Amino acid sequence: MLLFRSEEWIDKWCKQNNLERGEVLTIHQVWELSKLWYDNRLSLDYHGRSIEQTAEIFNQAGLTSKFWYI
Amino acid sequence: MTYKTMNDSLLWQIRHFVYNHFADTTHPPSVDETARHFNITGEEASEYYKELHNRHAFLLDAETLTVRMANPFSGIPTDFKVHANGKTYYANCAWDMLGIPATLNTDAIIEAKFTESNESVKLEVKDGKVTNGDLLVHFPLSFSRWYDDLTFT
Repeated sequence: MLLFRSEEWIDKWCKQNNLERGEVLTIHQVWELSKLWYDNRLSLDYHGRSIEQTAEIFNQAGLTSKFWYI
Repeated sequence: MTYKTMNDSLLWQIRHFVYNHFADTTHPPSVDETARHFNITGEEASEYYKELHNRHAFLLDAETLTVRMANPFSGIPTDFKVHANGKTYYANCAWDMLGIPATLNTDAIIEAKFTESNESVKLEVKDGKVTNGDLLVHFPLSFSRWYDDLTFT
């Protein structure tokens, strides 16, 4: 996942690298997702997560488009 | 040693050790360090590392068995540098640069580079909020394809 200043630059970069455009989130959205995604990563009890748990995190972060389907 | 002969509790203790070693020191423990910590052989530690790699708990360099990624931490320098708790970490990507303060539950100063220009930009996580919130992160692959090639993702 790469950092850009604007949508325009993302389009240019995808074109230059012959890549399809994926999903774009603001830093604010990524921070909210990070807090949910990485909350217990240092815990001994963290053994990965189920499909349902992952879907719930995306849902809580407001990521409901097809791109985030599991 | 196969997974059937592995100790499941030890497997997750090793995952926990690797992640907390990263958090404490900014780099991953070697196979030998992990073997010494758990009083097992290097060969056994290697097998546990491979099993954790297979389960996507972290990503190994296939040749050296060094931990390359234990998300959000990177085992090698990247364009995403995170200063937190008096230490400097490297994140795997623009998402993980925010994943490090989230994992450590702490404030952070982040030095990153824009993909399009290679210019540096500084962000700050403070009191649960992030500055420069309108900058953009591009996720090139849909979630169902993230593990096809984790380094590209």
